[in-house]
Amino acid sequence: MAFEGVCHLLANLVEYCNSSETSYDFAEDEAFNSEIEMSNFMDANIHVRDAIFDKYSKGYAPESHMGEGSSSLVHASTSLHDFDEGIFKAEDNPDCLRSRWQLEAYLNQQADILEKDPSLVPLNSFNATMSQLQALAPELHRVQFLQYLNALTHDDYIAALDNLHRYFDYSAGMQGIFSRSSSSFQDIIVGKYESALLCLGNLHCYFGHPKKALEAFTEAVRVSQMNNDDSCLAYILGAISNLLSKIGMSSTIGTIGSPYSLGNNIGLGTPLSIQQQLLVLLKRSLKRADTLKLTSLVSFDHLSLAKFDLKHVQRPLVSFGPNAYTKLRTCPADVCKNLRLSSHVLTDFGVDGLSASSDNGSFSTSWLRNLSAASNSWCSSSTKSRKVLTNDFDNFHFHAQPSPIPAAVLQLAGSAYLLRATAWEHYGSAPMVRMNSLVYATCFADAASSSELSLAYVKLIQHLAAFKGYSAAFSALKLAEEKFPSTANSHIQLLKMQLLHERALHRGQLKIAQQICDEFGVLSSSVSGVDIELKTEASLRHARTLLAAKQFSQAANVANSLFSTCYKYNMQVENANVLLLLAEIHKNSDNAVLGLPYALASQSFCKSFNLDLLEASATLTLAELWLALGSTHAKRALSLACQSLPMILGHGGMELRARAHIVLAKCHLSDPKFKVTEDPCSVLDPLNQAVEDLQVLEYHEMAAEAYYLKALVYNNLGKLDEREEAAASFREHTIALENPYNEADSLSY
Amino acid sequence: MASTKETYRVELRAAARQLGERGLYSAAKWAAELLVGIDPDGTPAPSAPMDTPSSSGSAASGGRLLHLHRSGGSSFRRRLRPGGGASEAGTPLGGVSYVSTPIPDDDAFDVGADKYLLAKTYFDCREYRRAAHVLRGQAGRRAVFLRCYALYIAGEKRKEEETIEHEGSLGKSNAVNQELVALERELSTHRRTGAIDSFGLYLYGIVLRDKDCEGLARTVLVESVNSYPWNWSAWLELQSLCTSSDILNNLNLKNHWMKDFFLASAHLELKMHEEALKRYERLMRFFRCSDYIQAQIATVQYSMRDLDEADMIFEELLRTDPFRVDSMDVYSNLLYAKESSTALSFLAHRVFLTDKYRPESCCIIANYYSLKGQHEKSVLYFQRALKLNRKYLSAWTLMGHEFVELKNTPAAIDAYRRAVDINPRDYRAWYGLGQIYEMMGMPFYALYYFRKSSCLQPNDARLWNAMAQCYESDQLQMIEEAIKCYERSANSNDTEGIALHQLAKLHGMLGQSEEAAFYYKKDLERMEVEERQGQNFVEALLFLAKHCRNIGRFEEAELYCTKLLDYTGPEKETAKSILQGLKRAQSGYPSMDIDHFAM
Repeated sequence: MAFEGVCHLLANLVEYCNSSETSYDFAEDEAFNSEIEMSNFMDANIHVRDAIFDKYSKGYAPESHMGEGSSSLVHASTSLHDFDEGIFKAEDNPDCLRSRWQLEAYLNQQADILEKDPSLVPLNSFNATMSQLQALAPELHRVQFLQYLNALTHDDYIAALDNLHRYFDYSAGMQGIFSRSSSSFQDIIVGKYESALLCLGNLHCYFGHPKKALEAFTEAVRVSQMNNDDSCLAYILGAISNLLSKIGMSSTIGTIGSPYSLGNNIGLGTPLSIQQQLLVLLKRSLKRADTLKLTSLVSFDHLSLAKFDLKHVQRPLVSFGPNAYTKLRTCPADVCKNLRLSSHVLTDFGVDGLSASSDNGSFSTSWLRNLSAASNSWCSSSTKSRKVLTNDFDNFHFHAQPSPIPAAVLQLAGSAYLLRATAWEHYGSAPMVRMNSLVYATCFADAASSSELSLAYVKLIQHLAAFKGYSAAFSALKLAEEKFPSTANSHIQLLKMQLLHERALHRGQLKIAQQICDEFGVLSSSVSGVDIELKTEASLRHARTLLAAKQFSQAANVANSLFSTCYKYNMQVENANVLLLLAEIHKNSDNAVLGLPYALASQSFCKSFNLDLLEASATLTLAELWLALGSTHAKRALSLACQSLPMILGHGGMELRARAHIVLAKCHLSDPKFKVTEDPCSVLDPLNQAVEDLQVLEYHEMAAEAYYLKALVYNNLGKLDEREEAAASFREHTIALENPYNEADSLSY
Repeated sequence: MASTKETYRVELRAAARQLGERGLYSAAKWAAELLVGIDPDGTPAPSAPMDTPSSSGSAASGGRLLHLHRSGGSSFRRRLRPGGGASEAGTPLGGVSYVSTPIPDDDAFDVGADKYLLAKTYFDCREYRRAAHVLRGQAGRRAVFLRCYALYIAGEKRKEEETIEHEGSLGKSNAVNQELVALERELSTHRRTGAIDSFGLYLYGIVLRDKDCEGLARTVLVESVNSYPWNWSAWLELQSLCTSSDILNNLNLKNHWMKDFFLASAHLELKMHEEALKRYERLMRFFRCSDYIQAQIATVQYSMRDLDEADMIFEELLRTDPFRVDSMDVYSNLLYAKESSTALSFLAHRVFLTDKYRPESCCIIANYYSLKGQHEKSVLYFQRALKLNRKYLSAWTLMGHEFVELKNTPAAIDAYRRAVDINPRDYRAWYGLGQIYEMMGMPFYALYYFRKSSCLQPNDARLWNAMAQCYESDQLQMIEEAIKCYERSANSNDTEGIALHQLAKLHGMLGQSEEAAFYYKKDLERMEVEERQGQNFVEALLFLAKHCRNIGRFEEAELYCTKLLDYTGPEKETAKSILQGLKRAQSGYPSMDIDHFAM
């Protein structure tokens, strides 16, 4: 045996001795891992949905940061490759032994990579690696779990299902049969099959089979109650609430068919709406996790609660009599409290995490993760230090210092920041959105999965598009695409389509806009209740395209049906948006009277969900509608527009600001008491600003309107040269709008 | 006919000798057994007693064949005699002429003969490396084969030792046969230059299989059996590489009579029982006394759940060859299934005395203990069997059953899972897994396993019943799916009669009384045929009586009610009241409606 080999052996003797006991908690770990993963999925979804509302001002250039990020990623992947080779050299060479511990660490590391960025791991070669490992160590069943994860992330349903069942068949008893008989009888009977069901449910959830997932979860609840496995039960409740929030289920659809359904299972006599069930489940899960000291789950539940509070009104479960007062508003304070609490728990974990050995699930994971983090850093630095430190042993121990915060904890903490960004997106504070996304992208990039990280980038780029125009956004997008090279990265892909669609609408390239809309529709799954956000966005954009094409009745039809779906699936926040769109449609079809109630409804929706920016824009639309009713309402319109101005000028994107300016000018102009000659600046200033913004956005239609108004004003003032200039610009934009040029390159950027 | 047999004899005689000379003991044993199994020409008449009836005729007489054989060969022979005229040598069980393969001459006893003799004695004394050493530098094909084979065996032996020495906490160590690489190099060179005989090809095939080159291994083994068909070991290796019927059908095999043995055995392995049985019965005509074929036929019969038939054959087999251990594990399974404990005890004690350290013996003894209810001991013996042969499929499955008895579910699941991983087509193990999970109150999880098993054995009503029971369990209550499964079960000859009754009941629960009545009627017919009467019978009658009354077919209703009157219990009273209502309705009283609602 080589000298290094002996060193390895000595160094790991303790681990060798302990390895049989430490294998105990694996099933638990799985639950934990999948939980984390789940939270990723969840956040991802909520953010995609929120991307629609992004139209706020102020500039930012993320290029420099992206450059750094991408280079570090490249390093990581090459060093991964090295490590792969390393481990196999070691195994092919019988002189060098690898301890079980090291193998576990390797597997954990692979799991992390799978979770972070599945596109880094090619399906087949990874499977080959794993089957080689399995041939070498047939009793190491975690390999099968990794194969399951691999198949899952590569969307191979059959293989994922087979490997899941195989893994739990072997290891639910935790060990092989021969060694098993020595342990106590009670232990033998109680397997860890509830975690198998939990994983099965997550699998179905991932593949979009809500009904099957729910059946699996209900069974998991039953089995874990039977086996008194409280911590697993807490995880299952978390998973169910994830499922409920993820899939679109109207309360009328009998998704929960069996009499042993959730309603009864969680001990509630009365039938509840999905949202109420979700809330109850979340609260129970939180309580349970709190008593069991499952810190990660606690923080996860806080995050989910925050998400819930963000989008739903908390109604009391039972209200007695007509006098029972219910405040039908969301409560931003709750959201903030939950977000704060989720991070708070994590700091606790960081401080006394090492001493909290009673915390079985997350603690053992964190420990394992530490090791894997150690090997991770070892391999990433090994490219540099390999020449210097030829002694493998030294190298290993040098980097084996446990990192203060495990990656899983970092991930949860990061999610909190992302969620914060989303919350501010809702409430309408652009700087806060940008700040939180930036914090996430800079501080949590190492621990984040590629989908979450790309989400942060998406937010930054959306911000850029709203405040700096398309050219800046597209150049940032290019960098982001380089950083996330996989075509499968849906966030980036979606963002690209959103930007292209908006630009096409602004430029008046309706055919292209329609084409992109169709592509949107194709992206979502055909199963009803799945990919709800994507479908909503697709039809919202479809309605907008129709509106731009002046096909008002069709646009109204689409928007109406969208409203009814949103209502069915209880998506109130989206409803506010749809209502505003309907008002907009009626306004443009010269039917202001019909538009008014929609605008008012949208406004009240916005109020109850605290969507300040959207509310301001609804107010603006309201002003326009009043204005359209005749010059007698100009005063009222002006006051409404002024009301919305602070919010819009503070946080709105360029388009919104320009609109507000134009409305302001229009109000003045249509006011019969207003004399242009007396105060030309109060009209010209806003118009000039609007024109500036609109030119960056290439928004021909509105730019033409602004120039037209300008020409009118100059005409009144008698400044003929300026009038001619404005008229020429007006002509330019009208022609551009009517003859959309270079259609060919408008799909590129 | 006689000449055909004589050819077979000559061929097998030579084969047994040649295989023995090369140290291929089990193949030699097999050939010799078969040689003795050829029907002795009791009637030395020139016209052959047996020849070639049309294949359909032989298939039809297949069922009777066995009885006749056991009751006495002569009558059987007479019966088949009128079949036809003289047949040529080498024609046909199935009407296709066989290719006659020349028996290869051994190397002339040249200079190396003495050394070969020495090497062979070493080999027989299990001094493999020594044997290989003696033969170094010898170029004769026989010498090359024995040297390579000795090296291979030596490598295998060392591998086994290493596996035990290095066994770590993660199971098997990465011990490999160290000789494989060198052997492959040498044998592939020989194959390329054409300096290799069929035995060398067989060895090359094994080496390739060990190196996981299955495709090439198949090709090489096919070459081997085509040039020397009498090496049964080569056929067995080939069979183990044929994991699906597609692979089997695509093999390019010469039509030698040994191919029939191979195909029959492969069909049995792939659970194509009918085909296997047909082939074996045809082979029986020539190898009347072959114990091997008898055992195989019995195995097929057992797999087809024809227990009594198989029992008789095995009994006979054990009488003629009392110290036989091969295939006796199947017999023990059979006896277990029939719960004939005395016979099983007798068998267990005999094999114990014959050779207690063979996997089959351990399995038989384990079965014996299991039947006696001593499950711990049974598990012990199954574990011993598996120590002796890790890939002993049925032992894993049976051990799973034992663990179920011991209520050690994780261990049972583990055992079943190993069986499934060894052979994913083992529907019993899949079924066992499903059953365990169902027992643990996880019907949704169990469905996956039942689905797997019914996919492998789509015509087995038991599997469909199990799946349906999962669907209709209290937890899932997916009645429509359960109905679909029961329909499959009812269509595939459900002998337990669960499906029809359940179908009727479930349709009744869903309020589809037409369908329910249809199935109740069918169930009644079935029960009447089988002369079974019980609660189900009463239930069916009662439902039908009410149903017929409700849809206005009073006469039928009356019929059912009168049948019901034969039974005691509350149903009798109900029947009486229905009858009264019927009479009133028929006599035209308007009170019928009231009665109708009262029911």
